[in-house]
Amino acid sequence: MSRQPPQSAGPLPPDVDVSLLPRDARTGVAIVPSVQPGYYPGHSTLSQRPYWDKTTRDLVNDRVNHTPRIRHFSAESARFWRAVFDHILPQTDRASQRRIPILERVDDRLHNKRGEGFRYENMPPDPEAYRLAEIAINEESQSRYSAGFIDLPHLQQDVVLKAIHDGKPAAKEFWKQMPIGRFWALLMQDAVEAYYSHPWAWDEIGFGGPAYPRAYTRLERGEPEPWEVEEQRYEWDAPRYCVSDATEATHHLHSESRQNEFIPDESK
Amino acid sequence: MKTPLFGSFKAPATSRHALGPMQQIDVPMRRFRDTDEVDYLIVGCGSAGGVLLQRLSRAGFRVVALEAGPFWDTERDWVSDESGSHKLYWEDPRITGGTDPLAFGANNSGKGVGGGSVHWAAFTPRFHPSDFEVHTRDGLGADWPIRYETLHPYYEQLELEMPVAGPAYFPWGHPHGYPYGPHPMGGVGNALIKGCTSLGIPVSIGGPVAILSGSRAERPHCIYRGYCIQGCKVGAKASTLITHVPDAIAQGGEVREYSMAHRIELGKDGRVSGVHYFDRDGASWFQRAKAVIVAGYAIETPRLLLNSACPGHENGLANSSDTVGRFLMAQAGNVILGRFDDPVRMYKAPPAHALTEQFYETDPRNDFVRGFAIQTVGPLPIAFARQMVSAKRAWGWGLRREMMDYNHWASLGLLGEILPWPDNRVTLSQERDQFGIRVPHIYFNLHDNDHKLIKAAKDKTMQVMHAAGATEVVQEARYAHLVGAARMGSDPRTSVVDKFGRTHDIANLFVCDGSILPTQGSANPGLTIQALAARTADYLIAQGDTIFSSGKRDQTEPRMRKDLAPPDTWGHGVPYLK
Repeated sequence: MSRQPPQSAGPLPPDVDVSLLPRDARTGVAIVPSVQPGYYPGHSTLSQRPYWDKTTRDLVNDRVNHTPRIRHFSAESARFWRAVFDHILPQTDRASQRRIPILERVDDRLHNKRGEGFRYENMPPDPEAYRLAEIAINEESQSRYSAGFIDLPHLQQDVVLKAIHDGKPAAKEFWKQMPIGRFWALLMQDAVEAYYSHPWAWDEIGFGGPAYPRAYTRLERGEPEPWEVEEQRYEWDAPRYCVSDATEATHHLHSESRQNEFIPDESK
Repeated sequence: MKTPLFGSFKAPATSRHALGPMQQIDVPMRRFRDTDEVDYLIVGCGSAGGVLLQRLSRAGFRVVALEAGPFWDTERDWVSDESGSHKLYWEDPRITGGTDPLAFGANNSGKGVGGGSVHWAAFTPRFHPSDFEVHTRDGLGADWPIRYETLHPYYEQLELEMPVAGPAYFPWGHPHGYPYGPHPMGGVGNALIKGCTSLGIPVSIGGPVAILSGSRAERPHCIYRGYCIQGCKVGAKASTLITHVPDAIAQGGEVREYSMAHRIELGKDGRVSGVHYFDRDGASWFQRAKAVIVAGYAIETPRLLLNSACPGHENGLANSSDTVGRFLMAQAGNVILGRFDDPVRMYKAPPAHALTEQFYETDPRNDFVRGFAIQTVGPLPIAFARQMVSAKRAWGWGLRREMMDYNHWASLGLLGEILPWPDNRVTLSQERDQFGIRVPHIYFNLHDNDHKLIKAAKDKTMQVMHAAGATEVVQEARYAHLVGAARMGSDPRTSVVDKFGRTHDIANLFVCDGSILPTQGSANPGLTIQALAARTADYLIAQGDTIFSSGKRDQTEPRMRKDLAPPDTWGHGVPYLK
């Protein structure tokens, strides 16, 4: 099933840069920001809250209604990392009141010293990793474009981050203090945990969300529950100013360290 | 609003302790004083600790289980939410290294009463008879000091106590059937069946998994909500929290929550006299005991033994063989993801619901020994996003796009046997945790046989996914489970404990958990850990008071005490509803 991309209720807000919006693949026209991108129009996990157990309901309500304030990062670092997360998980297709806070969740984790239960022996503690990475990413920006990351145009920022993603930085010095692949994994984990724990993201991807005590009943053939929504796909292209749309399968790498701890290849 | 059969949408109005929506117990429980010399002090109330506590309490011993985490009230504490379930996992600091460092936390380490059995996916295959003699057969790895036949009655018994749902005929290893009927298939199970069938590979459908396919006593049937590894609020998935701990408490056993053991005390007579532990406020206590059983799993058990070094035992307690911490094992747990044109919605159904063990045994045509299993897994959105980051290097708009296709993906996990190697080990770092206890530093290195096995297993599982009809197949490399690091054996020079879990060095110090396994097969270890715990309990019960005073090591196999199982957990077969 195919449909039109989601439509905005009103005109394009004046502060929106069209070159940063995803486009309708058939027409090339920018898809204006909407309250719910994705292929499941009308799917709302939050509408099902009365059917959830109280503890889960309270937790998710708190996540939606309460954004922690910044306590770990300095104002300058917060501005820097907010700009980075705008590339790691861009949200220009989301109406401004429906963007999912990422930086605040990461800041909250670092402030409360919540770890994952382990640290790689060649990695510093997480707060130090973020501190070093801020310097390294700024060095990368200087090396490529002779300006700090925050002052670069959007597309150049994307290119800088792609160099980190690829494990091929031009400025290598700071990455001698921690493996670039491990930092990238840490950054991505923090970002996806914040974004995909949010019910607006569940709606976007058609995930059903909590189902206790009510249950899921249609297990086979990917059928929706009566309160879920059938997929209605539309084809879209990434924004014109972006280099993050390409993916690269890594299944030739069969061990975890080979897959994730790629260190810049000095021979090239 | 109406109330569903198995639980309320509203908050529970009871002051009792909820273990699932129907089972409730009274707290507080019996509380021993530190000055009391209890019979058995168990460190860790997880898969093994819960079973040991129950059996020993029912046999009339005075038993305390120290548990570093909380005693869960499942209605109050647990959620249907990935990000909200971190408290179930052991997230205290650990340092991981070697050429192939392991991830810990949510990946393999539980905290709180029930331990790993709270967050396991609950696949419960038995080990194969060949697992007990790997070295004899293949010249690598190790032999167990017991045979499959020794453990066989305990497998059967624990499969009833959990109980396990699965097919009436399971063809691999020692063929057998399961007491509860198989679960219906979700989209991932269907993919595994289709892929395997088209390649002529037999497949086990609907289990074996320790999740109720029908209600029994105070435990409801599965509702297929998919949050198994976030803790089963439904109470359908077995954990010792709901299967064994309630009976233990009713029999006078004590679970002491928020009690972090940090040193085992050795007396002048060469016997242990109790355990030092911190409470949640960081105050230090000492519980006296006639015997100590360490059941902290494959990292915390060696960590505690090493941290208990004292004059005469400078390398750690029970470590005269220099084997404590060594031969740590994880299984290869690579996840193979396949995209299908039609929706799958893999978040429905338990992640664990179908598998094949067709490639479990050594095959002389391979360039490696031992083998692997292929099992269903069902990652929820955060886990799936992390897989896309590794498997496709997705980020930015590419990641947003992949995630919008979440409902089109199915995922299979391989479970590959990694052999025990002495350089894969737990040591102590100089860093200290929030209590001031030295943090474990773990080294893990894949060896030649491991690399070859993982590569072959990954290729085979990708082949199955293609055969299932996936139009795109990718892979995330990772590990699953932990065992070893305090292995059992008959030779005190090369192992830590004997075949009953008694340390070779100290007559009243035992280890009973996943860390005593000499090899791991390609079966999930949970059932084997609980079966070994029930057997060790039978041994201790048969030995009676001699454990507390004598150094005599009777190696006679004990009589199995079915009568000491929790009465509601076996022998019924007919569910009833309240």
